[in-house]
Parts: sequence; C-alpha cells; structure tokens
Amino acid sequence: MRASPKKKAPDFVILFTVMTLLAIGIVMVFSASAIIALENRADVYFHLRRQVFWALLGLGGMLFLSNYDYWKLKRWVNALLVVNLLLLLAVFIPGVGVEINGARRWIMVGGFTGQPSDLTKVAMVLFTAAYLSRRDVNVQKFMQGAFPVLAVMGVFFALIMAQPDLGTAIAIAGATMIIVFVAGMPYRQILAIAMCGLPLLGYLMASKPYRLRRLLSFRDPWADPLNTGYHIIQSLYALGPGGLFGVGLGRSRQKFFYLPEPHSDFIFAILGEELGFIGTASVLSLFFLLIWRGFKTALMAPDNFGMLLAAGITGMIGLQALINIGVVTGSIPVTGINLPLISAGGSSLFFTLCSVGVLLNISKYARV
Amino acid sequence: MSKAAVSGIIIKRRLMLLFVVMAATVLALLMRLFYIQLVIAGELQAKAWEQWNRSIPARSPRGSIYDRKERLLAGSASAQSVIALPPQIQDKEEAARLLAPLLEMEESRVLELISRRSATVYLKRLVDEETAFAVRKLNIRGIAFSQETRRFYPHGSLASQLLGFVGIDEGLSGLEHFYELVLKGRDGRIEFESDGRGRRIPQGVQSYIQPKDGNDLLLTIDQTIQYIVEREMERVMLSSKPKGIITIAVDPRTGEILAIAGKPDFDPNRFADFPSERWKLSPVTNTFEPGSTFKLVTLAAALEEGKFNAREGFFCRGAITVAGRSIGCWTRGRGGHGAISFEKVVLGSCNPGFITIGQRIGSEKLLSYIRAFGFGVKSGIDVPGESTGIIFTEKQFGPVEAATTSFGQGVSVTPLQQAMAVAAIANGGYLMKPYVVKQVRDSEGNVLEKREPQVVRRVLSGETAREVTRIMELVVTEGSGINAYIEGYRIAGKTGTAQKVGPGGVYIGGEYILSFVGFAPAEDPQILIYVAVDAPQSGPQWGSQTSAPMFRRMMEDILKYLNIPSAKTPVNEAPRMVEVPDLMRLSLEEASDVLETSGLLVKFIGSGSTILNQTPKGGARVPLHTQILVYLGGEAAGEEVTVPDLSGKSMREAGEILGWLGLRMNFSGSGIARSQSPAPGTRVPANSVVSVEFRNPGGP
Repeated sequence: MRASPKKKAPDFVILFTVMTLLAIGIVMVFSASAIIALENRADVYFHLRRQVFWALLGLGGMLFLSNYDYWKLKRWVNALLVVNLLLLLAVFIPGVGVEINGARRWIMVGGFTGQPSDLTKVAMVLFTAAYLSRRDVNVQKFMQGAFPVLAVMGVFFALIMAQPDLGTAIAIAGATMIIVFVAGMPYRQILAIAMCGLPLLGYLMASKPYRLRRLLSFRDPWADPLNTGYHIIQSLYALGPGGLFGVGLGRSRQKFFYLPEPHSDFIFAILGEELGFIGTASVLSLFFLLIWRGFKTALMAPDNFGMLLAAGITGMIGLQALINIGVVTGSIPVTGINLPLISAGGSSLFFTLCSVGVLLNISKYARV
Repeated sequence: MSKAAVSGIIIKRRLMLLFVVMAATVLALLMRLFYIQLVIAGELQAKAWEQWNRSIPARSPRGSIYDRKERLLAGSASAQSVIALPPQIQDKEEAARLLAPLLEMEESRVLELISRRSATVYLKRLVDEETAFAVRKLNIRGIAFSQETRRFYPHGSLASQLLGFVGIDEGLSGLEHFYELVLKGRDGRIEFESDGRGRRIPQGVQSYIQPKDGNDLLLTIDQTIQYIVEREMERVMLSSKPKGIITIAVDPRTGEILAIAGKPDFDPNRFADFPSERWKLSPVTNTFEPGSTFKLVTLAAALEEGKFNAREGFFCRGAITVAGRSIGCWTRGRGGHGAISFEKVVLGSCNPGFITIGQRIGSEKLLSYIRAFGFGVKSGIDVPGESTGIIFTEKQFGPVEAATTSFGQGVSVTPLQQAMAVAAIANGGYLMKPYVVKQVRDSEGNVLEKREPQVVRRVLSGETAREVTRIMELVVTEGSGINAYIEGYRIAGKTGTAQKVGPGGVYIGGEYILSFVGFAPAEDPQILIYVAVDAPQSGPQWGSQTSAPMFRRMMEDILKYLNIPSAKTPVNEAPRMVEVPDLMRLSLEEASDVLETSGLLVKFIGSGSTILNQTPKGGARVPLHTQILVYLGGEAAGEEVTVPDLSGKSMREAGEILGWLGLRMNFSGSGIARSQSPAPGTRVPANSVVSVEFRNPGGP
C-alpha cells in the first residue's frame, strides 16, 4: 500500500486559498500595524517585515513538506515530541526564554523569537494521527485509544497553560480531540469525559467569580465597557462602521489605539472595518473553502494516517479560524487565538504553512 | 486491516459529521457578521463616533447691553480658559507642580484633573491676561487655551439690580437672566477625531462649528438719568441711613423706564461679595403699603365719577367712625384739620376726608378703579421676579376695608404699580405697560425686535387727569410737597408717609416708608419719578423732609439734562421767601405738622423728642428750601457729642449751635463759616473747643 498510490498534482484549491489568505494577511498586517508600529517602534514596516519574513520561511517549509511523502513523517514523531517538550521547558529558563507582559511563551534563538507552543500544534497532530492509525491500537478501548493521547496532550497542555497561553492550549486540545473523534472514539467515552470535565469547570468558575464574569461578558459587553467588555466593544466599533463595503483599505480608525492587538488577535475586526462585510464574508468563505478541501483530502487519503493527519491539520486551522472570528464578532468569550494565515504571527505562521505543506502532500495521493 | 485497526468507514462518517458542524459554524458566523455589519451597523457607528470625536468648546460672545443712547452698560471682554489634554501631558506630576501656583489651585487637584481619562478638561475658567501669559510661558505639552468671554459692567453698581449679573455660563439675575436666550447666542466647537489615547488623528476629520454671537439689548434706560437718580439715592443713604431706597423714573407718555434702582445694591463685577437680597430689583419685587400716594387713585376715581367738588366744605374732627370703628386722621393729636374744603382735604392729606370721598364713590366702584389702575396684577414689565401686590377681593371689601383703602392702607402694591398708576394721571388717563428693553439687535447692529409703547387701558378722561394734575400742582406749591418745588417749572406731586407693616400684618412702630411721586412739566409731563425711602434712621421721618427734597434734586438735574424749558405760563408759584415758624418747646409730632408745608428743610441736632432751640429763630424770613437747625437735646452733660457741620453758617448761628451742644467756639475771620476743626461728625467730649474759620462771601 505504501508505495502503491499514484502520485498526482496537489489540490490547487487548497494552494490557491492559502496563498490568497496569506496575501490578504500581509496587506492587512501592514495596514493594521502601521500606526502602533510607528508609535511603539518608530518603524511603520516593523510588523510587515516580520510577516513577510515568516511567510517566506513558511512557504519554503510548505514547498519542502508538500514534496516530502507524508508517511515518512511518522519516523520523526517521537523525536519531535521530545524536542518540543525540551523547548517548552526552555521557555522558563532565564536568558533563553523571553518574558513579555508577564507571559513566558517565547524563546530567542540567534536573534529570532519563536513560540515553541506553535510547534506543539504540529507535533500533537502528527503524534495523535500516527498513534491512532497504528494497527495495534484499538480506538474503541479507552485505555488503548484515547487515554494515551489525552495523557500526552495533558502534559503539553499543562506546560502551555503555565506560560500562560490559554488560546494555544485550547487550539491544541481542540485539534487533538478532533483527531480522536474522527478516529472513532466511542460516543459514550466522549460523554463520560464531558461528565468528568463539567464539575471541574464548575469548580473553576465558582472559585474565582471574575472568571465567570469575564467568560460571559461577551453576552453584554456594555455592562463593563472599560474592563471585561472592552475588547469586544472595540471590535464591534470596528466591524459596525465597516458596513457593507468598509471605510477603505488603510482607513481604519479603530487601529488608532482603540482596539488592542489590531494586527494579531483582532486583525479580522480591522479587516471588517476597512473592507466591510464584503471583506469579512470573503475571508470566511476562503476558510470554508480550505476546510472543505481539507476534509476532502482527508476523505480521499490513501491510508488511515493520511486521513487522520489531514483531518487534524484541517481541523486545527479551521478551529482556530472559527474561534478567532467567533471572538471578534462577540459570539464567544475572548480566548486569545489568532487568525491563521492572516494575523501577524511569526512562528505560528511558519508552522501553519508547514502543516499546509503536509496537507498538500496528502492531497497528491488522493484516491479517485 | 485487522479488526483492531481504525475503521475507515467510521473515520469517513465522523469526517462528514465534523465537516457539517464546521460548515454550520461558518454559516452562523456569516449571519453574525451580516447582523453586525449591516443590521446594527448604524447603531454601532453612532457609538463609535461618540468615542472617536472629541470637541473643544468655542464659546459665543454674549450680547452687550446699552442704554437708550447706546452707551455700554454691560459688555464682554475676551478672556481665556486653561484647558488640559490629559493624554498629551507626559510628566503629570511635574505639570501639576508648575501649574498649581500659577492657577492658584491645590497641586493635588490639578494632578487629579490632568490625570482624568478624558480628552479635555477645564483646569481653570476665565483667567486673567498675566496668568494666561505665565502658563503659556511654561510651554507644557497638552496644556491649551480656549478663548472665552468674561462679563464686565463698566459702571460698577450703576443699574446693577436691573442689569443683574452672569455666572460662569449664564445670566443669573436681572436682565441678564430674563433675556438669557437673547444675549447668550450659541456656542460653537472645534471637533476632531481622536485616537484611543485622546490625541488628534492626523488625517481625521476636523471641523469648526462657528459660535453664533449673542444679540444686544438697547434699553429704555438713560444712563445719565440713572446716574442722577442713584447719586441722590446714595446721598440720602449716607445722610439718613434708611434701610433702603427705591426710585423709578418713567416717561409717562410711553411707559419707558428711564431709570430704576433700589439701594442698597451691589457691584455685578463681584456679585458674590454681596448678600443675595441686594441682587433683586426691589422697585419691582418689593411690595408695601403705599399710604398717601394711593390717595391719588381715590381722588381720580371720585373726579371721574363726578363725586368730588373741590370747593365743597368738609369738617375733620381728627377721626371718623366707619361701621362702628373709629379711624383716625394723622392730625388727630391736634384735633383734626377742622373746617376745610375738599381741595384742602387733598392738600392736607386728610384721612377722614378721603374716607368720605371713598364712601361717595362706593366700595364696588372704588375697587374697580383700583384694578383699572393696574393694582393687584403684574404690570408685565420685562424683568424677572415681579410681584403682584395684594388688594382686597369683592368679598373681603367691607366698609372698613373700603375706608382704609381710600387713603392707602390695607393694600399692598409694588413701587412700579404705584408709579404707573400716577403715570396714567400724568399722560391724560392711559395706563401704560412699562418696559425696559427698547430694541434687540444682532451683533452687526441689525434691529431684530423693536418695542412700541403699549396702552393697557384707558382709566380716566383727559379732563379728570388734568384736574388731578392741577390739585397735585397745588400740593407742590402750597401743600406737603412744597419741598419738591422747582422754581420756573410746573411740578405735580404727592407725598406719602406709610407706616411699615411687619411680618404678620402688624404695623411696626416708629418705622415709616416715606415716598414721593411727581411728574414734570405739569403742562406736558415728560418724566415721572417715584421715590420711596424705607425707614430713615436719622433725621425726620416725614415725607416732606426726606423724599420730597430728594425728588426735587433728581428732577431738577433731569430737567436740565433733558433740556426741558421752564414753564412759560406759571399757574401757581411757591413763595420765594418763607417765614421760619417758632418751634420752641414743640414736640416732634407738632413740629412735623407746622413744618410740613413750610417749605423749609429741617436738620435735627441731638436725640430728644422736644425742640429746645432753633436757628434761625421763629419769624425770620429765609429763602424757600433753607435748612433750619433744630436742637432736641437728649445728650446728658459730660458725655461725648457729635461735632455739627457748621459750613455756611453765620458766626452767630455757629456759636448758637455749638452752645446747644455744650461746645465752645474758637473763631477766626468774619462772614460765614468756611472750615472747621474737628471735622463734622467727630465725637468729642462736651466742653471741647471747635475752631471755626469765617470768611466774607466773595472775599479771598
């Protein structure tokens, strides 16, 4: 089976979608970041330059991985997990790890800063897909199937939460669960885990009332406009005035220090302000296209590993996009997840493009 | 594939399921975006605008107030306010430390203001030039100035109760308050888009909404007449120390108020330094019992109804019985006026006489005349706080009420009502609506509104009005108004001495309101003055001695100022020389009787109640309106006495006056007294020596 599939051209819809989103991202990062870059770093192009650098690096990774047969990736899974684990620990070593705004998420290597947690997304997806596609693993049995995966994920989850970086931790947990789900974890196990999780969630909420308030503030941001509701209100103040056609590229007002993180977590709001509903609907449609083609790739993958890997990669990107847009539109609580391929993201963009490379490679072996 | 391996079928089924869930989520988000960006977009846009737009107020210059000859009474000078733009101030503590002493504010207060989370805050409104300059010199980033105006009144307290004053942003009393909407104009503002840190967005929209200037008021007030009136009021305030004085000067032909003032008043440039009772325009807000000046209403009504015959005889016993109650005349003490004509009833202000006249008119008719003259309702003058006054209703108006009302007791009127009622006599019978604003003009001088005289109703026939005027002229030439006589002019007038009514309607013993109402020239009345002096604390409490001379001094200057020629055909003239009556050993009450129509002014020395001495002596002939000195004693020997003013006195008179007080004179020169030491008003022990220098009139 391994050598048998016929190699075809990659899925050009995925390629086209990703390249388009990447281009939109670069333009929007520049537009959204210019003002704060000028103010904070006296350099209008600061974020643009970084975005272009990481995009080029990522495209390089994508090109390489789209030509690297995906099943060979299994060899690297264990090494990748160990290296990632070490990097996540290194974040806490002074001198290597970089602390920004009270969070230790970054490490600096040779002048470049990157987030090891971005690698974790890829590593966990690879590991989960590889493990659950093993012939000797019965997914129906909890101790064989879901448990080992959840245990490994739990370690990484805990390390990332310690940084703290709730958004990335949720994305990793979500993508892992998607693969476990797709792999066929029985519904009763899912239900049982949910039943265990609920009391824990209830305890967390009850012990610190502000958490619940913050969590629910998206329902009525104006109840506390200067604290918990601030991000969402500012986001809506960008989307609303955008209207149908937007105020015009580069002409956002909300990027003038009203909306925090206009170039990363809330870039979609600035996009909505400058390009209107036309812009937001287009970007959402592009993500839909990517999800559709990603799942199609998974469905048509020649083996279980390919199926689960493609589902994991697509799920990872799609989940992040939907959560981010959900936050920006005030539909779900603020989590701190950026918009894949669009937000200024550094290493996150790099690893996203790398995983797209893997997806493209899987699409080359699609069964007809 | 072994059984243990993942089933491809399950994977595919689950993939489809997951895709459906994600696709549904995409759809939900699309709808959400549609809702936000297209459905509630306008709402959000409006709120966002609120957040983006900041504005600095640009205040409109307030309109000015001018007198009838366009002389400035209230204007606005440009002043600056210090504004802080907190987001732009870098070192807030340093800024607060530097600004606090210049702005005369607490450092902590300044720091609190410049640390606020808003784009602009006022640090201090309306600072003076030097302060603004000093703050400018500090050159602190984020400290700006806003051009504003500060109200000023070039003549200080002149017409202050009428003009009122302006607080920080609005007129709080007087015309400034009444005409607030006319004077204020509309504020403009500078609007700009600001960023999240309160700074102007460079390419953002900026707009300047120009302030609209306030409109100007042109008053009916004549600044010179107002000045003359207030000068005389101040003089009496000093010499007689009354609780207050009220004056209204009005053109009886039009109802235009030429001058209106109440004392004590205030300086609107620093209104807060004065008690608030002084802010209101007392001639319009105060009510009091009018007393004898109200008798003119009774007289006019009787004449109009044909119930008054000047030559008919009347006998005053000093009291009259009405419905079983005895009501006295002010001459009760000496047994009444005796047998007099009805003309003399008016000239002598005889109460039983007026009660009789009132009874002849009938209470119903009398009440309707009182109403027709404008009593009991607001005149409608364009100033705030006008009082209504109180008159009896038909039900309450029994014989006793009608009797007291006939001579001006038991009613409550405003000085303005009294003045306008007499103006109706002066102008031939028309009750006019009084007003103070002649024109409203915009800042370019275009007339926006012009007030014309307004007749409320006709009250009397011209014939009746002329007859009342004739009798009022007699009051001035030979009656109690003789001290208002101005040589060469025909003056019509009436004195009034009303006992003050305290709270609860009880008469306050020994406190009177001395009033005088008169107009000139009687043949063609152009100006009417009403004065009322509230409870003088020194000098005689008789209208003839206080309010009549005050009226004369005002009227004399106003007639000169208005270039009104003296009468060509004087009908009646007061004598030029009068004989000084012998007042020795008379009580004050008796003396008031004798002096009322004497044409002499009297000055008291001492504080007793019986006249112990006088100068000039009885029988001497002196010019009309000469001041005679009357010694009342009452100061025990060995006590301190007040040195009298001897200027203008002959050596004999000066020696006599000093003798009364137990002082000795050391004189030099001859003729009349020119200077003295100690100065008048100084308190010295009895037996002190007063040096007086005499000089011959016309000599060096």
